[in-house]
Amino acid sequence: MRLPKFRYVAPENIKEVSTILLDEPGAKILAGGTDILPNMKHRVELPSVLVNIKKIPELNSIQQDNGDIRIGALTPLKKVYESPIITENLSALASAASSVGSYHHQTMGTIGGNICQQNRCKYYNQSQWWRSSRPTCFKAGGEICHVVNKKEICYSCYCGDVAPALLVLDARIIVQSKDNSREIPLDTLFSGNGKAHLNLEEGEILTEIIIPGEARDGFSTYIKIANRESIDFPIVGAAFRGSVKKKEYRVAFTAVDRKPVRGSRVEAFLKGKNLSEKLLEEANQIASKEASPAKTSTYSPSYKRRMMGLLLRSAIQEATGREE
Amino acid sequence: MKQGIELRINGDNYEVLVSPNNTLLEVLRDNLGLMGTKRGCDLGACGACTVLINGETALSCIMLAMDAVGKEIETIEGVEEAGLLHPLQTAFVEKGGLQCGFCTPGMILTAKTILDEEDHPTEDTIKKKMAGNLCRCTGYKKIVEAVMSVSEQAGEGR
Repeated sequence: MRLPKFRYVAPENIKEVSTILLDEPGAKILAGGTDILPNMKHRVELPSVLVNIKKIPELNSIQQDNGDIRIGALTPLKKVYESPIITENLSALASAASSVGSYHHQTMGTIGGNICQQNRCKYYNQSQWWRSSRPTCFKAGGEICHVVNKKEICYSCYCGDVAPALLVLDARIIVQSKDNSREIPLDTLFSGNGKAHLNLEEGEILTEIIIPGEARDGFSTYIKIANRESIDFPIVGAAFRGSVKKKEYRVAFTAVDRKPVRGSRVEAFLKGKNLSEKLLEEANQIASKEASPAKTSTYSPSYKRRMMGLLLRSAIQEATGREE
Repeated sequence: MKQGIELRINGDNYEVLVSPNNTLLEVLRDNLGLMGTKRGCDLGACGACTVLINGETALSCIMLAMDAVGKEIETIEGVEEAGLLHPLQTAFVEKGGLQCGFCTPGMILTAKTILDEEDHPTEDTIKKKMAGNLCRCTGYKKIVEAVMSVSEQAGEGR
């Protein structure tokens, strides 16, 4: 499969990247390439310009700064989960990064790219030939959604592994443009709109992820179920962080909605309580109502809901087992 | 528009004319005739097109040729040492680690990075890291055995 034609640029600083993104509305960013290049081969993404940002050296690093952990957006996933800073203190992030795709995707793919990855849908992530048997879907530039028969709404599903782990770790991100830089909580990056899944202004790029020092307290984990454990996107993924002493808990899910979802109701339910077997049973029920999955994969929404509850229970059991 | 670039492959420099939309796989096979690197799914899922970029595994079907400029590229053609098969290649032959052989170049390159990183990887590590290399003949057991046998020899002056 050939790639479509595009212009290629490889600037060496963020300002230049931002200028190109502002001048060329059809420009897209290339980092690891494991997401955008297959989509381009499928002709669902057709950028006029590809901006390779890997030539910007300062975006590939993991540093500690006043207790906070700062990860450059271009840090390969393999470097993330092999870094002692991450494996010792932030096990949810380490397990999430090491569960992305195959080992090859982990050496090529970057943490920023994984966070910003395109939403997925069984009608969208298909070859041009496969898609030609029905009208082009809304996300790919057509007028209709094949998942829910409504115009102008795209129900494609966010399937990143790293985002839920970062959500439970209360991560913040730095978004830079030509002459501006802002720090925002990670959850505000996701729009919940399948067609344009990121809340980024024109010319803005994600440059850094900041995990606060407090996120090291307690224990955290990320688990997912997938068709083939080794190489697939999650059917459902769940991240959990908790501190038995403070009795505070964080829950997040992926692959169940148009954006990664914080389980705020289940968090409120668990707050201040000891994690007993009976409590987990109730939490399981609440968790399965935290998102509204659509039929974007071959798995039914009701199956995904059940799995949300069960995965949360296993995640809590795994995490608490580790702390004892 | 085509552009001249220089690629460093298996220690040699090659000048090639490429378009931005040429993948590294296309350039290796179509421009340079290095047919050892295979085109499988062409979407980065099967691992048949694995090459090493600066010693790390990379899927050449989802990597732009222009992106490989200035990096050390290693393909299956560069694995032999002074006309002799690499110990991994010998092990694959001896242990029967291949049937049709289509996945073998990718398998050997991935195995090579595993052994370069640690002398004695566990069977689990090998299985986990090689999971992205699919073998449709399903001869996985022999492949893992072959890699394990080389890791066992490692202490004895491989």
